[in-house]
Amino acid sequence: MSSNLAVSATGLVKRFGDRRVVDGVDIAVPKGLIYGVLGPNGAGKTTTLRMLLGIIEPDGGERMLLGRAHPREASDVVGYLPEERGLYPGMKCREAIAFLGALRGLPWAVGRERAGKLLEDAGLGHAADDKIRKLSKGMAQLVQLLGSVVHEPELLVLDEPFSGLDPVNQERLEALITAQRDRGATILFSTHVMAHAERLCDRLSIIAGGKVKFEGSVDDALGVLPLKAHYTPHHNADGLRALLPADAERENGSWRFAVPKDGIEGLLVKLIDAGHGISGLSIERPKLHDVFVRIVGKKALEEAPE
Amino acid sequence: MSSFSRGARQALTIARRDFVATVFAPTFLLFLLTPVLMIGFGIVGGQSAATATDSGEAKQRLVVIAPPDRIALLTSTDALLRRIFIVPTARPLLRVDAEGPNPAAQAQALFERDSDDVAAVLYGPLDHPHILYTPTSYGESLFLEQLAEQTLRAQKAGGPARLSVLADRQPVQRGKVSSSGKGRVAFFAAFGVFFLTLMLSGQAVGAMAEERSNKVIEILAAAVPLESVFFGKLIGAFGSAVLFVAFWGAILAALPRFVPPQMAAALAELGAAVGPVFPLLFVAYFTMAYMLLSAMFLGVGALASTQREIQMLSLPITVFQVAAFGFAAYGAARPDSWVAIASQVFPFSSPHAMAARAANSPELWPHALALGWQALWVAITVTIAARLFRRGVLKSGSPKPRRKKALA
Repeated sequence: MSSNLAVSATGLVKRFGDRRVVDGVDIAVPKGLIYGVLGPNGAGKTTTLRMLLGIIEPDGGERMLLGRAHPREASDVVGYLPEERGLYPGMKCREAIAFLGALRGLPWAVGRERAGKLLEDAGLGHAADDKIRKLSKGMAQLVQLLGSVVHEPELLVLDEPFSGLDPVNQERLEALITAQRDRGATILFSTHVMAHAERLCDRLSIIAGGKVKFEGSVDDALGVLPLKAHYTPHHNADGLRALLPADAERENGSWRFAVPKDGIEGLLVKLIDAGHGISGLSIERPKLHDVFVRIVGKKALEEAPE
Repeated sequence: MSSFSRGARQALTIARRDFVATVFAPTFLLFLLTPVLMIGFGIVGGQSAATATDSGEAKQRLVVIAPPDRIALLTSTDALLRRIFIVPTARPLLRVDAEGPNPAAQAQALFERDSDDVAAVLYGPLDHPHILYTPTSYGESLFLEQLAEQTLRAQKAGGPARLSVLADRQPVQRGKVSSSGKGRVAFFAAFGVFFLTLMLSGQAVGAMAEERSNKVIEILAAAVPLESVFFGKLIGAFGSAVLFVAFWGAILAALPRFVPPQMAAALAELGAAVGPVFPLLFVAYFTMAYMLLSAMFLGVGALASTQREIQMLSLPITVFQVAAFGFAAYGAARPDSWVAIASQVFPFSSPHAMAARAANSPELWPHALALGWQALWVAITVTIAARLFRRGVLKSGSPKPRRKKALA
């Protein structure tokens, strides 16, 4: 496996009882990138991340984490924010962050010092000596996230990091993630919220039903669906429909259709020559959400177990 | 860094967190002072029970039905006989009733009267006395029998005067510890290890439950091998237990200065065959017993998902521990028997039995062997507990070889 990969796995399998929750997942996360694992609820994202981190053992397949065949050997240079957040309620924020760092080999004193700065930077400096039980859920979540980066890990794994955060804290978190990438860390995170993935990810995988349905860059993903044209004719006269592509749908006085594979220019010439004119025209890139729905399928989304 | 030293460092990090969280919580003071409450309640309860018993015993009487001319002799013989009791009222006080026309009916009637609390009655000729007694007063009946015998002897000797002068008594100190002293120390060593372990190890049962309810376990499991998590929890809990034992040990160590001289002399009779190393061995065996029992409690607590389950699963462990102590105590009373050897080898009774052995036998090498053996079982217990937790709670674990092959 390439040394340029922070994480790699081939054929990962995990069964709970008779159910194959993860069914032959391949994943390759290049170093220094933000990599998203997308999928509906119950797709197997969390189980995949837990196997990659060595929290649970796979029933089949191989994995490498930062060049180590056993994930535990890399635990001092990995940070992890689990989906189910958890901190000791009686601990002070500074101590909680230092403790999480100490688990990863950071001396307590250094951890305390860094915790103070991280809390300041995150706008939580005033709460450094408050106990966790006094914090709001969002603030506690941020503290835990700071605890996962206090030892400056090479790889940061975040499981649904945005869930439960208000928009302001979501923005803070996005900034923190990009700052970690800029520092040189690799970030692997799971989400089912496409907007975050579209803004942050350099590459992504889409998982559904325990299998990888797509793997590539965000641009690759967006390329799965054609560009959409939103055309408003000057004269909505007879014969217009016949000139438009078969998938064209009328929306009030406008038409929406996929841009033809050979471009839109030829179609526009025909429309002008036929006297329909152009009152308005916009070309829209598809959203990652649309790509996600196309790849995963509406049925799979509806059937996804909680 | 080797995986062992990393695991040790991580275990100590968890131990430190747990120790600080336990010791600096206000409830620790209550925990530390639990023996005061125990002793306090014990004294109050004991006093109440003693008062109730004493008031009942004080009313009880032994009755002799005798002709008036024999009353003085009986009374003086009774006084002489009671000299063998350190506490003269160890037997109910004697009352002598004048004999009526039908002594048998008179004796029987004494048990029917509400005003009397008669334990036993003697009537008839001294060379062939009749004694009636209640079902709980067999000892009193023997005393009355002896009273009749001694009174008859005094009568034949011409009076109750002593035939010898009072003995010239002189207490002596043994040059070495008596074998019964060793035996007592053996029992108390086994009991001490058992009692302390039982009292202190229970706190481990909720340790993993805390992690699960706080959902911290996922963080720990991602960063630290579960074995290190379990060892960290054990060491953290043991730290607070050591604080407890050190606190009360210091107080108990100062007690001999305040005990009466007679008791101090009795304490001097006690001792261990291994000599001054005994306290160190006691601490070592307490450590091992604590670790073994706590590892079991920790494992059970980790698997239980509710407090009710924890309570229900804790009881069999406690019963098992009591049985292990009983096994060790039985062996300690028979130091050369196969039961003693078996209790020293069986891992969960071994700390108690070996603590007792330290009192009975001077060799030191078996202790080195036993401590190593017990440490191995601590590791085995923790490993099993961690594996059960990994499979049962984290839903992890390698497939069976057959399945692995099929999946390949």
